Amino acid sequence: MAGPEPCRLSVGHPSVNPLSSQSDGTGVVPPADPFVSLVLTGRNDDHGADFKARFFRTLRFNHRELSARGILHEFVFVEWAPLSDRARLVDMVFNAIPELDPSVCQWYVVDPRYQQELSLNPRLVYLEFLAKNVGVRRARGRFVLTTNCDVYLGRKVLDAFARGELKSGVVYRAARHDLKLELGEVILDWPQLEDPLNLDGPPRRLKPPFMTGATGDFVLLDRMTFHEIRGFNEIYRVARIGVDGNFIVKALSCGVPVVDIGGPVYHVNHRDSYHLSRDVYVGREAEAPWGNRRWHSAGVIYVNPPTWGLSHAPVRQEGPHRWRVDFSWDAVPPLVDLKRIVLPAARLGGPEPGTYKYVSRS
Amino acid sequence: MIKRALRAVGLVRLVKYTAAVEQQKKAELRARKLAQQVEEVRADSRGWKAKAEEAHDQLKKAQATVAESAKRAERAEKLRVEAEHRLALDGKRKVDLVALETQLEESARELAFAREQLMAIEVKLDILEGAANVLDGRTRTVSAQRRTPEREPTV
Amino acid sequence: MTSEAGNSAPFLTIVVTGRNDDFGGDFNGRFIRALRFNHAQLSAAGVSHEFVFVEWAPIEKRPHLASVLREELRDLVGAELRSFVVDRAYHEALTLNPRLQFHEFIAKNVGIRRARGQFVLTTNTDIYLSRGVVNRLAAGTFETGVLYRAARHDLKAHIDVTWASWELLEDPRNCEIVNTIHPPCFTNASGDFLLLDTISYHRLRGFNEVYRTAKIHIDGNFCVKAHATGLILEDIGPPVYHVGRGTLHAQVGSYRENPGDAPWGDIRWKSDVVYVNTPGWGLGSAPERRLDSQSSFLEFDWNAIGPMVHLKGVVSPATRKEIA
Repeated sequence: MAGPEPCRLSVGHPSVNPLSSQSDGTGVVPPADPFVSLVLTGRNDDHGADFKARFFRTLRFNHRELSARGILHEFVFVEWAPLSDRARLVDMVFNAIPELDPSVCQWYVVDPRYQQELSLNPRLVYLEFLAKNVGVRRARGRFVLTTNCDVYLGRKVLDAFARGELKSGVVYRAARHDLKLELGEVILDWPQLEDPLNLDGPPRRLKPPFMTGATGDFVLLDRMTFHEIRGFNEIYRVARIGVDGNFIVKALSCGVPVVDIGGPVYHVNHRDSYHLSRDVYVGREAEAPWGNRRWHSAGVIYVNPPTWGLSHAPVRQEGPHRWRVDFSWDAVPPLVDLKRIVLPAARLGGPEPGTYKYVSRS
Repeated sequence: MIKRALRAVGLVRLVKYTAAVEQQKKAELRARKLAQQVEEVRADSRGWKAKAEEAHDQLKKAQATVAESAKRAERAEKLRVEAEHRLALDGKRKVDLVALETQLEESARELAFAREQLMAIEVKLDILEGAANVLDGRTRTVSAQRRTPEREPTV
Repeated sequence: MTSEAGNSAPFLTIVVTGRNDDFGGDFNGRFIRALRFNHAQLSAAGVSHEFVFVEWAPIEKRPHLASVLREELRDLVGAELRSFVVDRAYHEALTLNPRLQFHEFIAKNVGIRRARGQFVLTTNTDIYLSRGVVNRLAAGTFETGVLYRAARHDLKAHIDVTWASWELLEDPRNCEIVNTIHPPCFTNASGDFLLLDTISYHRLRGFNEVYRTAKIHIDGNFCVKAHATGLILEDIGPPVYHVGRGTLHAQVGSYRENPGDAPWGDIRWKSDVVYVNTPGWGLGSAPERRLDSQSSFLEFDWNAIGPMVHLKGVVSPATRKEIA
């Protein structure tokens, strides 16, 4: 039986989202707009050996804690380029987490051809930040938090949400505390998360003005400003490392301040994480699966096109709260768009934008 | 005539003799006085000579002092000129320093600008390289797909 | 932009020219950003103004930039944008140098001739007015018969100005060079800011339309003419801003050996020699056809064009005793 007709979502609408305050045609009326959308991305590929298990644990934890505090939230999950020989996460998650309310979830499965046609580096197997942009573009929350599937929200972060005192036009950052590898399979709760003995190294501190360092694990910004900035860099598709920090440089260039939210998030170390394996590729950075980390992510920024986040892609509903983003060349930006590579601007009272570091190109 | 005869035998009248003796006494007195005066003058003269010598010595000393002072003045003048020259040099160096500092600042700015442009260019090159490789890959795929079985070389 | 022009004449007409040819890279984007910014600042300061855009010799098979502007700037309310699209044939008939692709200053004359404001500012599409200029315009303390100039601050090329603000424009770290201006004629990037009362502009008959072999230095030439005619020239004080040092600066080195081949004409022409335009300056008698509520098309008509060569229009600047 043929599915619903693919719908071209309107370009230029601040929230290119199949969910609106109206019924989506399936008789399901979505809940009121959430306070915060948590945008996540991943796929069933055993990244870090036990990706699914780690993901479900953090998802359960975060959903429980947000709900306990009465914080209206949604999860916008982008399953980017799923492997054809594996079950999809969207098909497993609600069995794995029965208490997860499907109405707080939006699941987007993105055609693998986008990965193939968008990547400018064959070693880059997962365009994490383009995937996140798909989610940001479709999020409904007043605030959007882009984070990762193995990140536990800390108490102070949750308190900040609960107080509702977050400001628009401010990027909030949280330091990431890395927990020991051995904790990987343990179901974590506050006592384990907050025990300093479980920390794998001294706790990170965010250093102003850029406050980078595991940036991709916590970028919180109001949806309007996220849309005005047009998300993460979609022009430089040669690496995914540094794209998160690059967003901070872009935000500052746009006059958006960066602020520490006041408490950490937690991450359990795992095999294949960048944090643990970055030195494996020293001297052969071009071979790394995350791209060459020495590109000028601190000194050169971008202006995404208006079609950022695959806004022109046809989106087809596959079930309640789940959609498929089908492939269309109309949605694929130019292979090369050099005029969108720009230098960050300084602003009176703001920090020195960008830094030049000579790196050998050999 | 009597006077002539007396004069011829070397005799004079007593009055004349007495007058002559008186004159002689006066002359001797005067002579003694003169001699005394001469002595006095000589003594004076010796004194003056000593004084003159002393004055001459002092003059010499003064001249030496003047010469010394002149030398010192000359030296001082030299030093003054040297000091002025150095001051002028310092002043020029200060001006040069300011100019150098300005130039350095300008060069640093230009270097920063050049580096920024270089960063942007390097990022663009990364993208172009990636794109070229992607296109290369696609071209090869298309090219491989276009090869038909009949075109395969037969053994 | 409102569809109907307000009945009362605005204080200021801003005349700019261009076309949909991607000149300098993303011409349309740069134009729209600067226009939005300037409009927002002028409106916030309460300066009644209109934009007059002259699309000179539009490129065939591309949408008119005038129509792109109408679509993109629908949300701007209260200000006025009038566009004049000039038939390509005028360029072909007027040019005396086949290397010149765009007669910028004749185009500006078209705009000046049709301006409604008490004062006309001829500038360029990628110029951002400074806070000081906006404040001065708001104060309205301008005299007739005075040509006001502003120095142009060139910001670093390729800087991200999608979120332009005073904090960005005024930050000295973003400034690459200041194009200083000096009396008596205050030339140097003069085409980016020439503010004069409309009557005086008409009295001078706009920019030089006699010398059509180059477009470079036509702006400076206007300053010389203004000075020679007895106008007072004055530095308004605050600057205007431009991103990058401009196409001329980027390309001038390529034509050092053969300046006659440059697309802006020969840089060496004697721009101290001034001109007297014909009464038909600014295509004054060109027939206009309405395209829509905001745009008109200037149809080609030989009667609107003066003689190909008009040597009487070439004059020496009158020497004037400087008034102490």
